[in-house]
Amino acid sequence: MPPIPLHHYLIVGAILFALGLIGFLARRNFIIMFLCVEMMLQGVTINLVAFARYRGNLQGQVFTLFILTVAACEAAIALALILILFRRRRSLDVSLWQDLREPGEEATMDEEPLPPARRQPAMPQLTPSGLEPEHRPEESHV
Amino acid sequence: MSDLGLYSYLWLIPALPLAAAAVTGLLGPRVLRRHSHWPCILAAAASCAASLVVLLAVYHGIGRGEEEGAAARPHEIVAYYSWIKVGALDAGFALRADALSAVMAVTVTFISMLIAIYSAGYMHDDEGYARFFAEVALFIFSMTMLVLGDNFALLYLGWEGVGLCSYLLIGFWFAKPSAADAARKAFLVTRLGDMGLLIGILLLWVGFGHHLDYPHVFAHVQQAHQAGTLNQGLLTAACLLLLCGAVGKSAQFPLHVWLPDAMEGPSPVSALIHAATMVTAGVYLIARCAPLFELAPDAQIVVACLGGFTAIFAAVIALTQTDLKRLLAYSTLSQLGYMFLAVGCGIITKERSLVAFGVIAAVFHLFTHAFFKALLFLSAGSVMHAMGNVIDMRRFSGLRRVLPITHWTFLCGALSLAGFPLLSGFWSKDAILDVAWEAGHDADAYRMIYLLLWVVGIITAGLTAFYTFRAYFLTFWGEERIPPEAFAHHHGHAAHGQTPHLEAPPVMTVPLMILAVCAVGIGFVVGPMTHWFGHFLTRTPGLLIVEPELNWSMMGLSSLIALGGIGLAWLMYVRQPDLAGRFANAVPGLYQLSLNKFHIDELYDTFILKPLAGFTAFIRIFDLHVLDGLVDLIGHVPRMIGFRFRPVQNGLVQFYALAMVLGLTVFLIALVTRL
Repeated sequence: MPPIPLHHYLIVGAILFALGLIGFLARRNFIIMFLCVEMMLQGVTINLVAFARYRGNLQGQVFTLFILTVAACEAAIALALILILFRRRRSLDVSLWQDLREPGEEATMDEEPLPPARRQPAMPQLTPSGLEPEHRPEESHV
Repeated sequence: MSDLGLYSYLWLIPALPLAAAAVTGLLGPRVLRRHSHWPCILAAAASCAASLVVLLAVYHGIGRGEEEGAAARPHEIVAYYSWIKVGALDAGFALRADALSAVMAVTVTFISMLIAIYSAGYMHDDEGYARFFAEVALFIFSMTMLVLGDNFALLYLGWEGVGLCSYLLIGFWFAKPSAADAARKAFLVTRLGDMGLLIGILLLWVGFGHHLDYPHVFAHVQQAHQAGTLNQGLLTAACLLLLCGAVGKSAQFPLHVWLPDAMEGPSPVSALIHAATMVTAGVYLIARCAPLFELAPDAQIVVACLGGFTAIFAAVIALTQTDLKRLLAYSTLSQLGYMFLAVGCGIITKERSLVAFGVIAAVFHLFTHAFFKALLFLSAGSVMHAMGNVIDMRRFSGLRRVLPITHWTFLCGALSLAGFPLLSGFWSKDAILDVAWEAGHDADAYRMIYLLLWVVGIITAGLTAFYTFRAYFLTFWGEERIPPEAFAHHHGHAAHGQTPHLEAPPVMTVPLMILAVCAVGIGFVVGPMTHWFGHFLTRTPGLLIVEPELNWSMMGLSSLIALGGIGLAWLMYVRQPDLAGRFANAVPGLYQLSLNKFHIDELYDTFILKPLAGFTAFIRIFDLHVLDGLVDLIGHVPRMIGFRFRPVQNGLVQFYALAMVLGLTVFLIALVTRL
């Protein structure tokens, strides 16, 4: 079986990168946007690995390992930030943060509003059994 | 460098006061407090001792030269290091010891020492005690630098230094608006003269061989003169510019307005800076530059006329002043005018040179004037101290029993200033009149003017005697009147009928007595008795060696004039006190002019200050509306651009990302198509 030529890998990488880019530009959910960024990153790493194999050395592989490490760190920080932002607005919509614009500028409104969020079906709840243990009232607010 | 011997003490003369100024300035307010006067007094005393050593060294040099049969002009230039060396401009830090600088250094340090001691009593409970002594020490440093420096750059350093100290000390009580105004006025007016001095020094540098040090400049001018290549116009211009500096510092006629106002400072400052030492810097400058002035007769006549005019002008103003210190200030102006008259009369005629005589007469008068005028100011300060800071002669009189010591010391100073026969002022004034007479007799050009100046000198001598004794009689004779302010800090003595003890403490009266002895005797000792002064000073390098003689008929004439002036004052203020008022009513115009100081301040206000103020108002409007408008317009452009681009910052993450992607795309396309 002949080896897969280089440009196939490059096409796959380019597709992954383009998908990630379109996703990042089109979606408003923090987490989806973050995943799209990761996808762009993976598109790049595929390029690197492909070139490494094509050239017959390990530089691209090593570089990829570094990128993965950095991406892991980045994920940790990004998710922590997203969590904080979510706690502030109880929403993952990035357009809710557009008040970080130049003061005095008009806010950008959707021309047609988003459809109302689907209600989650209520989870069945078991009735509590036994006595609730006594606990002291909270003293600290931390 | 030869063996310096006794001259090696030269650097101590300015260095010690500088160290005292630094110590007092740094430690005074915190550590020394009430003992802040010690560094200043000790440094002044040590400087005085070092100056005397240098003086003796020069004197010894003269003696040795005479033994060898040579006409010695002993002098030593001690170069310490190269101070400014830029291209052809070379100013070394070099001090010189010769007859003139030694005499000046001794005068300055001796008077400073006495005044520093007096100030310890006079300023005793002042807030700025330490500041006062630090500034006085700094002044002594600057003044000794001025007289000891061997080049024009060091002279200028000292010149500006004394100007600064004068400013600081006139404005010593800076919370008082009049003192602050007077300080500013003094600083600005003398700055006007200093500008001329600086240009004059640079003109000498440019025109006469790129030298700044005295020996080379004088030698260059002398050689050019002998070779017949001297640029007469340039030399006259340089001399007139030097004169301009001297006129500012020594408060001669057009720039005299600052000195009377300078009396706002503490009395010891008036005595030290504005009577005895700093204001004589101008006379020193012209005496030092006598080798230049003697070759510029046109500048010489200007010096003489300016001096003569100031002498009589200030004397006429002094006739009617009622503020004791201001009267003495006008008297200082007048006496400085005398000194300028003397150096201005030092001309070269066909038969002989009067230059050395002029310089000797001027410096001799400077020397004796330093003693008796310092004495008069300190005595006036003692009166002011006793009278609770009242200095208006209309408010007190008959103080001769209240202030017995001050009375006697003031009398000594007044007699000396008036030129009473055989006292110090008599001999030096006589020398000046003598030179003026000789100049009027022998001059080739401007003969009538010199004769006229001699007449002016004689008249001024009479006026001096009159106004001095007017002040003396008004203050110490007549009915005993003491203003209530005098008792402000003598609570126990307010009882009527009992003469309170208002006399100053010994720390103030002892310097007064020393100065009184000098004012009476020193002129006789160094003048006619031994001829020491003329004999010594004529050995200054650059002067001809002459032997001064006494002119008996001149002495008789000036004695008569002085006694006449004193007698007239006695007649008008003691014998028939109503005579003064009648006399004033007889010539109301002249009386008013004199009382209002010839309206010089008002004239300056109308013809210089007002137009200048109008011009500055115009400039202000131009600046506010035209220049600021232009600048604002330029500032407006970025703001307009920003206004156009502001909507880009809309807070949408996707928009930013899209902008980045598009930008990157454009960049990549550009990159690729370039390839």
